[in-house]
Amino acid sequence: MIDIPRKEWAAALSALPAKEVKAAAESFASSCGVRDVTLPQSGLGLFTLRDGAFHEAFHLGEVPVARAHVVLRTPDGHESSGGAVIIDDRATIARAIAVIDGALAGRLPGWETAAALVERGYSARAGKLAERKHILASTRVDFSLLGQADEEDGDE
Amino acid sequence: MSYVAIKGGKAAIDGAAAAAEFLRGDDDSGEPLKLSAIEYQLRLLTSRVVSEGGVYHPRLAALAIKQFQGDTLEAAFALRAYRSTKPRLLATPVQDSANMRCIRRISAAFKDIPGGQMIGPCYDYALRLLRLDLANENPEAFQAVARTFLAALPEADLPDSFPKVLDALRSEGLLPPVAESLGEPFDITREPLVFPVPRSAALATMARAETGSLLAMAYSNMRGYGDVHPTVAELRVGYIPVMAPHPVTGEPMEAGEVLVTECEVVAMYESGKTGSLPTFTLGYGACFGHNEVKAVSMAILDRSLQKGMRDGPGNPSEDPEFVLLHVDGVDSMGFASHYKMPHYVTFQSDMDRLRTTQGKARVADQAPHMEVKA
Repeated sequence: MIDIPRKEWAAALSALPAKEVKAAAESFASSCGVRDVTLPQSGLGLFTLRDGAFHEAFHLGEVPVARAHVVLRTPDGHESSGGAVIIDDRATIARAIAVIDGALAGRLPGWETAAALVERGYSARAGKLAERKHILASTRVDFSLLGQADEEDGDE
Repeated sequence: MSYVAIKGGKAAIDGAAAAAEFLRGDDDSGEPLKLSAIEYQLRLLTSRVVSEGGVYHPRLAALAIKQFQGDTLEAAFALRAYRSTKPRLLATPVQDSANMRCIRRISAAFKDIPGGQMIGPCYDYALRLLRLDLANENPEAFQAVARTFLAALPEADLPDSFPKVLDALRSEGLLPPVAESLGEPFDITREPLVFPVPRSAALATMARAETGSLLAMAYSNMRGYGDVHPTVAELRVGYIPVMAPHPVTGEPMEAGEVLVTECEVVAMYESGKTGSLPTFTLGYGACFGHNEVKAVSMAILDRSLQKGMRDGPGNPSEDPEFVLLHVDGVDSMGFASHYKMPHYVTFQSDMDRLRTTQGKARVADQAPHMEVKA
């Protein structure tokens, strides 16, 4: 079993060294047939943001995007689709993640290895998120302590 | 405007490139700059280039900074050139900065904000004194910085994201209503700016504008050529998760995350539409990377441009055409730099005209003056 939702698998795998992800994908590819539904591509994605003042959408800029969509077929004919969209410019990584995504979603033979990989990536990503929270925690400030006696002292 | 061919140009151009490379390599350390060093140790420089280049690719921004030896304008130009070679695969659904994984979050409007204020990595309260110990920093001490920082902290029990300060003001009825759906936002990479332009075009243009240009325009407003008088309701820096449809399920999946700086300012209140109560006016700024001066400047200009678009410009920073056509670093740098290129034919023509005019003036001076009898 894996408790991490599928929508987070790609982000988790992206937190691992590319070499490991590719090696795992190659391992699945050696035991299953992998067919590209669409050719793996790399390019750009327009990043659309909602402005915080009036909630209007606008384009903040572009981000590198790689995506892949594959179908894995086991020797006994079982099929599973996998896909990935990642903020990266390497189509090969997107395809490797798509292969793992398909293997894990379809519980293809060896899926436990893929699950372990996703969990490790998720853990690495959680570590990075924890570091950011440490930054916040260490710089928390309580401005309400200022100016209790002489209100607005130093304020313009 | 005319140009002339130059004999021997190729050898000189090759030599110029080699000379620039020589100066880059004329370094006693003998160590080439690693891209990771630029990306992380010069993260604010990298941030400028990703936002001004308009592509969130910190590693390529670091490469461009290395290649152009620290020139942010040229580095942004190189990033724009890179983006022009890449196909566009998708446009993300509209992302919400309320999901930002903050590393910094402050308000100048309220002492207490929901979730609290965290000043994060900044120099706002630092003395501007040179740290001479950095001049000869040893690798061991450098490597220990991160370890020491993380080891000294207890487990942080904080949420993944924080509510927006403006939401609280809006719930009190102190802000104008949010915009109704305005259709597809303007794509400045595909469509030229033909005025009047929608606000989405102004925001996109300013988001990839050159920091100093935005600052200068906003500063003119702050100094007196305008009346925005902003208060920073919230400034936040952090990573926005980029959600995109999964190729198989179609459900939103996290494709990655993008570092963004965002600023929302509250400004002088104004009367609402007929029958509605006055509310504060608002300005919004955001850009890729960590660049607070840019986000604040953009927010001020957003507010001043809203006024200019509605009532007509009363000063330069309220004029959309003046602001939006003069803040792009690649455009303005290109125009300034082109003056260095040979303009020999043009200037010869100028000299010919001047000599002719001077000749005519001399003839006129030497001619006998007409005497006018009373």
